[in-house]
Amino acid sequence: MSTQRQATSASQTPHISPAELSYLYTSLSLPQNPIRPDGRSATQFRPLTAETDLLPGTNGSARVGFADGTQAIVGVKAEVERTVVGAAASYTLAEAEGAGDLDGEGGEGSGSAAGAGAATAGHGSWVQMSIEIPGFRDDDALPVFLAEMMREPLVESVSSGGKGGNGREEGEMGGGLKGRLVINRRWHWRLYIDVLLLSQPLSYPLPLLSLTTHLALLATKLPKLKSKGEEDPFFDDDWNAAEYLYPRASSFPKFGGGTATGGVPPPVQHVRPPVTLLVIAVGDNVIFDPNREEIAVADTVLAISVTRDGGAEGGLKLLSIRTIDPPSRLTQPGVPNSENVATLGATAGAAGSEEQQSAAVLNPVTGEEEVPGVWRPRRGGVKRRTVAKMVKLVLEKGGVGEEVLEGLESVEVG
Amino acid sequence: MTDRRRINGPPSGTRPAVFASSLKSASGDATERPRRHRQPNELRKIFLKTGLIPSASGSAYLEYEPSASLAAARSSPQSLIPPSSALKLACTVHGPKPLPRSATFSPNLVLTTHVKYAPFAARQRKGHIRDASERDLGVHLETALRGVIVAERWPKSGLEITITILEAEDDRWWGDAPDSHDAPWGMMNVLAGCITAASAAIADARIDCLDLVAGGVAAIVSDDAVAEEGSSSTPKLMLDTDPAEHKSILSACVVAYMPARDEITEIWLKGDHSKASLGVDDSSLGHEALIDGAINAARGAHTVLVEAVLESAERYAGLSSSDS
Amino acid sequence: MASTLPTLAIPGQRLAPVSSYAAGPGTHVQNANIYASIAGPVLVNPASSKTAKSTLSVSRSPLRKAAPAASPSAPKSTAPGPSKPRYNTLPAVDSIVLARVTRVQKRQATVSILVVLDESASNNKSGPQPTTTTTTPTGGSSDNDNIEAILSSAANPENHSNSDELRFQALIRKEDVRAVEKDRVVMDEMFRVGDIVRGTVISLGDQSFYYLTTARNDLGVVMARSEAGNMMFPVSWKEMRDPVTGAAELRKVARPF
Repeated sequence: MSTQRQATSASQTPHISPAELSYLYTSLSLPQNPIRPDGRSATQFRPLTAETDLLPGTNGSARVGFADGTQAIVGVKAEVERTVVGAAASYTLAEAEGAGDLDGEGGEGSGSAAGAGAATAGHGSWVQMSIEIPGFRDDDALPVFLAEMMREPLVESVSSGGKGGNGREEGEMGGGLKGRLVINRRWHWRLYIDVLLLSQPLSYPLPLLSLTTHLALLATKLPKLKSKGEEDPFFDDDWNAAEYLYPRASSFPKFGGGTATGGVPPPVQHVRPPVTLLVIAVGDNVIFDPNREEIAVADTVLAISVTRDGGAEGGLKLLSIRTIDPPSRLTQPGVPNSENVATLGATAGAAGSEEQQSAAVLNPVTGEEEVPGVWRPRRGGVKRRTVAKMVKLVLEKGGVGEEVLEGLESVEVG
Repeated sequence: MTDRRRINGPPSGTRPAVFASSLKSASGDATERPRRHRQPNELRKIFLKTGLIPSASGSAYLEYEPSASLAAARSSPQSLIPPSSALKLACTVHGPKPLPRSATFSPNLVLTTHVKYAPFAARQRKGHIRDASERDLGVHLETALRGVIVAERWPKSGLEITITILEAEDDRWWGDAPDSHDAPWGMMNVLAGCITAASAAIADARIDCLDLVAGGVAAIVSDDAVAEEGSSSTPKLMLDTDPAEHKSILSACVVAYMPARDEITEIWLKGDHSKASLGVDDSSLGHEALIDGAINAARGAHTVLVEAVLESAERYAGLSSSDS
Repeated sequence: MASTLPTLAIPGQRLAPVSSYAAGPGTHVQNANIYASIAGPVLVNPASSKTAKSTLSVSRSPLRKAAPAASPSAPKSTAPGPSKPRYNTLPAVDSIVLARVTRVQKRQATVSILVVLDESASNNKSGPQPTTTTTTPTGGSSDNDNIEAILSSAANPENHSNSDELRFQALIRKEDVRAVEKDRVVMDEMFRVGDIVRGTVISLGDQSFYYLTTARNDLGVVMARSEAGNMMFPVSWKEMRDPVTGAAELRKVARPF
């Protein structure tokens, strides 16, 4: 197997004949209502089973199984680690301790403001994610790309430096996940998220892994801190007193004391880990949760990460977009009858060139000449309006993103 | 992933020494964060030249103009540490060449991309083994190029694109605490440079392409002139941001863009700009503003790319020698 | 119409609508327009018949205008400066290649493709005349400007194994060696390791090999060394002779010009 090709395109190069590809593409690109091979609607997800807290040795875990038999397990483990303070920060630390309440002000010198910020902001590298996919080495491109793709929205989930020192007052989890991991100036939690795909991926495993990680993080608990302030951390060893990493509405006062809720009674679901959705565009249609055959003919594949906005109205916000290389670019082209030596006995040498396309028509989407019913590998990129449409479908009120998050909320956690 | 075959250093690493004197000096310029002197929609100049590496079938070298503060610091250094860095990278294209024997039959050109930082490219030394971020960049670059190349013209052959980054963009200003904004924003600038350079090198290797694809970066930043104007700084859209010049970048976007077809082959957008409303725009449209901004930056890079490719084509065709 | 065409094109540049030209190599079609897909000089090949459109292509090789040199034969020797030779042409079905024999087995010979000869030559192949002008470096001038250099270095025994992984491999099966008496072919009497063979591609083959044939008069061994190590000259369609020792060796010899 050519691992290079496997690893970098959206999944294994599909072993589907050009005729099948052409049929799939035609039925998926039907205007208004695509016909999917498994009869789903364009925004419908595959059924799945989920459970959480199944691994006793972890701080949080989840298992999700799709109906096609692919399963993933995620275990989250947390360790206490000493914060390495940069020279600049440690220098200002001494000063900040003297001044005391520099935190929160605009900051006088850039150095001191930055130092104070460092004590509360957290660091993206405190979250480590590794993905194990059978058949891939752990340094292959696919697991690395997937891990980065999922880690990125996680640590970005509330913009880190955006509010500077004010971050802590703003929402449930000021500073996002990173801020939540801070114990005090010298100690922090380090989070290891280990994702294990239990079977060979049948389709691009991103939705499965993302949903499983989401549930595992929801179920993750950290022991309750007993020590205060800048002391060395000391924890309550009663596991029942442990607090959720992503706090609940009914949960105890906030960890670390720094995240005041600001008076507003939070909605039932407030801060939740992000989910990454796999969205494809085929023709003018946008299709969610594609299976292997559908992704094989996609014009565009996007991974869009969203999470609940911290605000009261509970809208969605966009955290990241990445394009994924659609495997349709690597497919084998079909040969039209006019060029087929077997049917016409025409010159074989001309098969590769574009010279004989008198019967061709123009595909309105790709703008290339195509013979109907003959598959041609996709080439080129995506139009701006297609991207905008895909993102809009995810983000809009009552859109797919909300639907997915609601569906996940109905999974009983803990 | 980490290298498991060797005994590694401490995972957290160490920080380069920053001397208190350089931080503290009350009036000294050394403590001052580099400022963006360009307009929000003004790009840095790009130097791009193709065909510098004779043994490769195509090659290109790309360099960004150093920012004003960096240029000043270079002419009269006030600190050991330059305030920011520019981007310098070299791209080579090898092939089309036969696939390795173990590979399966491919009716298309098989593209492999390697992005490697030179050990001295960034402030923190990079190892010789590619780490996760370099692999990640490689996948991004491959996605960007795969859509451009007319792969079915080159059956059974492989194309290797290797990028060496000689000087990388910083992720932040060194004077900031390491955690002030730690997301690797510099990587996004690097990716945009990689895309532009690779496009020039592919054109130099005369591999069939749909268009010259160019990379561009735009970011929403919320910092500038915090000190003067007081507390509330409205986030702004900036093109071609130098991360060292901004205190906080809310979100950023890289695109690989083909102007002739008005198509995007690669988007990498990250960061949370939901709190940032761009003036009159609805906040939900932030991502569209970002993508459009990045496309505008890419259009700018494309003009440079066209010049460089034309120049190389003239040189190659021997037209310039007969004309002059 | 030709006035609207640029002399030099870059990828993505719109050249002409498909209604007025046909798309040739180095171009692609989008939205009923021909776009350049590589950087290089734009060429117009006049239509072969009245009904057909002329073909628009972007040349992969440097454009040599015959006019300034005033003597068509001169550029060959004076030109090496500006153009660095490039070997980007891939073997395609019907293209004529020069290859070096790397291994001779009972049923097949393995060769490594050195040069794909000029595209124009292979395009003409569909016509009835198999006689070629291929190796003579005529004005078409291609990637393969210094075929002589490639061949002489390839024919040296000491250069044999250095860059075979970088070259496309091909097979000449026993049945494809000659057109007559196919079942009597003894591979050892047709090729020896190190010979330079002219062949034509009959198939892109499998994952690792192209398939070549030498079953034509003008195809076969063009250069060979004897066991004594001397360059041999052809004496018949199946025999070559060492000029020093006078010993004859058996080969499937290409018809010399």
